[in-house]
Amino acid sequence: MDVKRLKIYWYYWVRMSAMTFQSLIATRLASVLFLSGKIIRISLFFIFLLALKDKIQLLAGYNLDQLIVFFLIYNVFDLLGQIFFRGIYWYRNEIITGNFDFTLLKPLNPLFQILVSHTDWLDIPALILTVIFLIIKLPAVSGVELLAFIIMGIIAMILITAVHIFVAAIGVLTTEVDHAIWIYRDLSQMARFPVDIYIESVRFFLNFIVPVGLIFTVPAKALFGVLSWQWAMGTIAFTLGFYLIIIKFWHYALKKYSSASS
Amino acid sequence: MRKYWQIFKINWDSVLVYRFNVLLWRVRMMLSFLTIYFFWGAVFSEYSQIADYSSASLLAYLVVAFFLQTLVFANDSFRITAEIATGDLNNYLLKPMGYLSQWLARDWSLKVLNLMCFMVEITALTLIFKLPVFFLTDWCRWLVFLAASVLAALLYFFFSFLVSSFSFWYPEHNGWPLRFLMLMFLDFLSGTAFPLDIFPQSLAALFKILPTTYFIFFPAQIYLGRLNPGEIVQGFLIMAVWLTVFIFLAKKAWQKGLQIYGAYGR
Repeated sequence: MDVKRLKIYWYYWVRMSAMTFQSLIATRLASVLFLSGKIIRISLFFIFLLALKDKIQLLAGYNLDQLIVFFLIYNVFDLLGQIFFRGIYWYRNEIITGNFDFTLLKPLNPLFQILVSHTDWLDIPALILTVIFLIIKLPAVSGVELLAFIIMGIIAMILITAVHIFVAAIGVLTTEVDHAIWIYRDLSQMARFPVDIYIESVRFFLNFIVPVGLIFTVPAKALFGVLSWQWAMGTIAFTLGFYLIIIKFWHYALKKYSSASS
Repeated sequence: MRKYWQIFKINWDSVLVYRFNVLLWRVRMMLSFLTIYFFWGAVFSEYSQIADYSSASLLAYLVVAFFLQTLVFANDSFRITAEIATGDLNNYLLKPMGYLSQWLARDWSLKVLNLMCFMVEITALTLIFKLPVFFLTDWCRWLVFLAASVLAALLYFFFSFLVSSFSFWYPEHNGWPLRFLMLMFLDFLSGTAFPLDIFPQSLAALFKILPTTYFIFFPAQIYLGRLNPGEIVQGFLIMAVWLTVFIFLAKKAWQKGLQIYGAYGR
């Protein structure tokens, strides 16, 4: 892709994000309520963790402070996914009304249009608070651990993108999007804690079927310096394979698009 | 009464038109339950006691909470929010039936359907994961539990209507913002994912007077036999007070709301 094309995509994203921001300003009370809800959700779970403090000393070898860091890192990637890929929540309407035809006609990648069409500005304050808290809570981290975290974080973002593409493809095939994305969100909640705490079969499911373990737990383990290089390489290889298969599935789904109601 | 029975049946049929949707909804409910169940399972694989709960009693609590979640929170009446915001409320104002009563009938048809799904799910999950299902043999406690559960469902219905009526004053985003905020609190304060008495005493005492405690936590405690008769009576009294307050406020909100209702979008 040349620089000129990249500029077009950048301009599209900036315009769409600006328009989303304008709509948020137009409904200020709604924005305040949504924002409060997001911050309250994180805060209340945090209170729950603190309530466990005198009852649980270690869980799967992690102490409560470490579990809190896992929870904060879970929130970082969960919020990043929502900030950039909120468009998926609006997408079903496009499919069932046939408006997706117009998306396909534009000289831009339809996937890009679907995923980034509604940048969620309301998640940004929660993300900033989470990152500040994470920096406060983090133990001393070496340069190597930080680098490993950044690399595994990028891998996590590729996996999150792949999951959203999968949901978009399911949407084209079945017109069902809302439940599919929520199933992913529900399952991802299991990774608020390191997936190591679960029994073997559940852990396998969370790592290799719906890879929320690789998305949320692996970067956190990299930051703690407890991620083996075998796991790191395995995660990278899995991610590349997973992403390629999902892209193939997306192209297959596009061929089956029926343009219903248009 | 007969017309509400008809509404019950019509809603039942209309929900079953979208069977795949019902199936995915129930899959989500099961996943939510399993998420919580596996977490506590992991905790109890390393600890034998958390607060006053042994592994068996806490996991049994989660199963009862799953049942109550299905009964109390299954509702169609959250659509009231959008009906007010989009002006679709007009369709009902002209019909010879109570707006809230018909929604109550629709809610109960959805609850019965969800409970039937629950029975199948819990049987399957028990066979697969060996859930600690705990059957009551004391009929008296069954009756008290059922009364508390039905009251909890009613309490939630009027509470939810109050939240929906916010749309009369603020119809933006189809009235969804306040409901979103409510759901965030409800997740935590109803006791779906954990019993509320694992928190320190000061917090547990505060929870006792909140209405959200009586949606899931209180009926579940009755089922598990963790309350003495005095505490049960006290709980029912608090529930009755909240129900009276919510019914009164719902009536007021409905009257005031209709006065300013603009039928936007019509």
